[in-house]
Amino acid sequence: MSASVPATGVMITASDRRAVAECLEGGWLTMGPRTQRFEAALSEWTGTPHAVAVSSATAALHLACRALDLGPGDEVVVPALTFVATANAPRYTGARPVLCDVESPERPNLSAAGVERCLSPHTRAVIAVHFYGYPADLGPLRELCDARGIVLVEDAAQAIGAEVEPGRYAGTVGALGCLSFFSENQLCTGEGGAVLTADADHAARVRSLRSHAMTSGTWDRHTGNEASYDVVDVGYNFRLDEPRAALGLARLSRLHDDIERRRAAVGRYRGALAGTPGLALMWTDNDVARSSHFAFPVLFESGEARRRVRDALTDRGIQTIRYPALHAFTEFAPLAAPGSLPAAEAAADRHFALPLSSHEDDDSVERVVGAVRDALRQG
Amino acid sequence: MAGTETSPSGVPLYDLRLEPEDVRAVMEVLESGWLTLGPRTHEFEAAFASHLGVRHAVAVSSCTAALHLAYLAAGVGPGDEVIVPSLTFAATAAAVIYCGGTPVFADILGPHDFGLDPDDVERRIGPRTKAVCAVHFAGYPAAVDRLRALCDAHGLALIEDAAHAPSADFEGRKLGAWGRAGAFSFFSNKILSCGEGGLLATDDDDVAALARSLRSHGMISGTRSGQTGETDSYDVVGLGFNYRLDEPRSALLLSRLARLGPEIERRRELTRAYRGKLAGMPHVLIPYGDAGVGRSSCYVMPILVDDDGRRDSVRRRLRDEHGIQTSVLYPAVHEFTTYRSRFGEQRLPHSERVARTEITIPLFAHLDEATQDRVVCALDEVLAG
Repeated sequence: MSASVPATGVMITASDRRAVAECLEGGWLTMGPRTQRFEAALSEWTGTPHAVAVSSATAALHLACRALDLGPGDEVVVPALTFVATANAPRYTGARPVLCDVESPERPNLSAAGVERCLSPHTRAVIAVHFYGYPADLGPLRELCDARGIVLVEDAAQAIGAEVEPGRYAGTVGALGCLSFFSENQLCTGEGGAVLTADADHAARVRSLRSHAMTSGTWDRHTGNEASYDVVDVGYNFRLDEPRAALGLARLSRLHDDIERRRAAVGRYRGALAGTPGLALMWTDNDVARSSHFAFPVLFESGEARRRVRDALTDRGIQTIRYPALHAFTEFAPLAAPGSLPAAEAAADRHFALPLSSHEDDDSVERVVGAVRDALRQG
Repeated sequence: MAGTETSPSGVPLYDLRLEPEDVRAVMEVLESGWLTLGPRTHEFEAAFASHLGVRHAVAVSSCTAALHLAYLAAGVGPGDEVIVPSLTFAATAAAVIYCGGTPVFADILGPHDFGLDPDDVERRIGPRTKAVCAVHFAGYPAAVDRLRALCDAHGLALIEDAAHAPSADFEGRKLGAWGRAGAFSFFSNKILSCGEGGLLATDDDDVAALARSLRSHGMISGTRSGQTGETDSYDVVGLGFNYRLDEPRSALLLSRLARLGPEIERRRELTRAYRGKLAGMPHVLIPYGDAGVGRSSCYVMPILVDDDGRRDSVRRRLRDEHGIQTSVLYPAVHEFTTYRSRFGEQRLPHSERVARTEITIPLFAHLDEATQDRVVCALDEVLAG
């Protein structure tokens, strides 16, 4: 049996390791110059005025909700097909997530028409997810939100570097954008995330709340700038530390190339799988050009077919990724009845994502495609 | 000297030095490419549990996260009260608010011992009290025996904020192992540090299971098993968080844990030396007794000046005239703006006195005697002037 193909993989280069080693040898591990440099570099790379590094995308979403002063009685529209953190973030503040159906199984992002059906007088925000790195159609969503006085937040955890509007990267169009640097992501630091925003007040609020709403930090006190501090709100410890900031900073310089390689692998997958009976490609070639490709999901004719092919791949050591719809989980079942969000349920049931990383080679793409075809033929 | 980029000739409050083997441990993880919820985290958890003598250690992203999970596991929810000290880092109280609860501040024993006063705790127990959180200040044990008995008698959970006390003990049992759960910090300035990090320790299987689930979004299986083809088998139960510690940090902690014993022994020697040098110095009070040093983890060296009006000028002169960095542990939490506005004004005389007169002077494992003398002489000079 040949070697397994992991769902994703991280290649930490010698220069990445050197950056972390230098930080460790320096002995300053939290909220220091590397975090400042990483934030400045993220801000420049994404073309947004403020980037605040945090401990995870979950923390980023939580802080985005706090920056908007969400609380009990408020509603936030989120897609029914996403990672659980998207829907938990409003809950941390006491607000209620409203699960919204996605556009279609082939395009499982929020649409303005879908969101409009979920609005109520209590709706304060919409969290658009760029699922698997494919941009949600933000133009109409923004128009709808602007017209109703609702705030648009981007969950760009899977989409750093995706072009969501001409010349605009994921996370820079909404009032706040949330990035993930989790180990599976295009830019990874282990655990980590960031909030992007053009709004100076939002940035200040997020910065304050990520470190217990203290009026000065350890670094300030270390450098003699502040003698003591006040605590002016209920904040958190959502800080990113210096070794992770060093790693993120080192890897950011290669991010465009990494995304290009992911896109090229997706191009090879799509070329090889187009027209395969029983399998449908998701999104369009135009979307592929704009996506930053967290993973490569495909759609099967039925949930039964999806399970059969997935099991066959697992047997051959090929790992895959799949997201259930949120209301399939015990925790979110009370939010929507089965059958009430048909496109999200169909997408969840019929899809999984094939292995993808920034160093996916032709051989592994060919092997995976061959295994998918074999499994479909045996059905 | 590490960590002193702005004051090369000064004396920093703390100074972290990692050994080549620590750096190597992190480099090995990075080379492996497996960065989250993997074998190093499991290994570190097992090693720390065994070090403490508890059944479970759950590594998390910070001590704040550990306290949050500990309170949730103690059943703290909206309307509930948790009795906490005010002379602590704000997280001890903030984590109660995360649960929807109300922190009720109790006073400390006095200027000689910054541990919670069990009598004051008892006076504040009410029908909504769910838990008591004891902070082991600087690594000196709070009165955990009395607090534990008090909690048991009233059906409350004792939570230990052991951020300062990773290897301290009381009557032969490690701190953090006395309550329902103990919360530890691996923040950069702590005795055992990795940058940002924390851990929840417990003997209770249910507390451990809840903490393990809620640290990773309430998912019943983690990333690693999720990648072996079992991704359909996971469910989400409860409102969880991303409170995970990643593999590079676990590797760093695992490497450093092996040297924790000698590191703390050195801190005890330095603390005894400070106590000797400071004994009899006018205008200064040294909390705790000589006998307590041997069971403390000696995280920091707190001293009190006798006149609260002088504290800030003493600190300023130590910094400006002698290049000596100090800190205040802590401003009293009940006096912070957000706590005053949420819970009203209240008086905690001992806590307030310490908050106004405490100075934390430099202490770290490789501090040498000459530098200690320099700190003590500077203090003597500043206090005399």
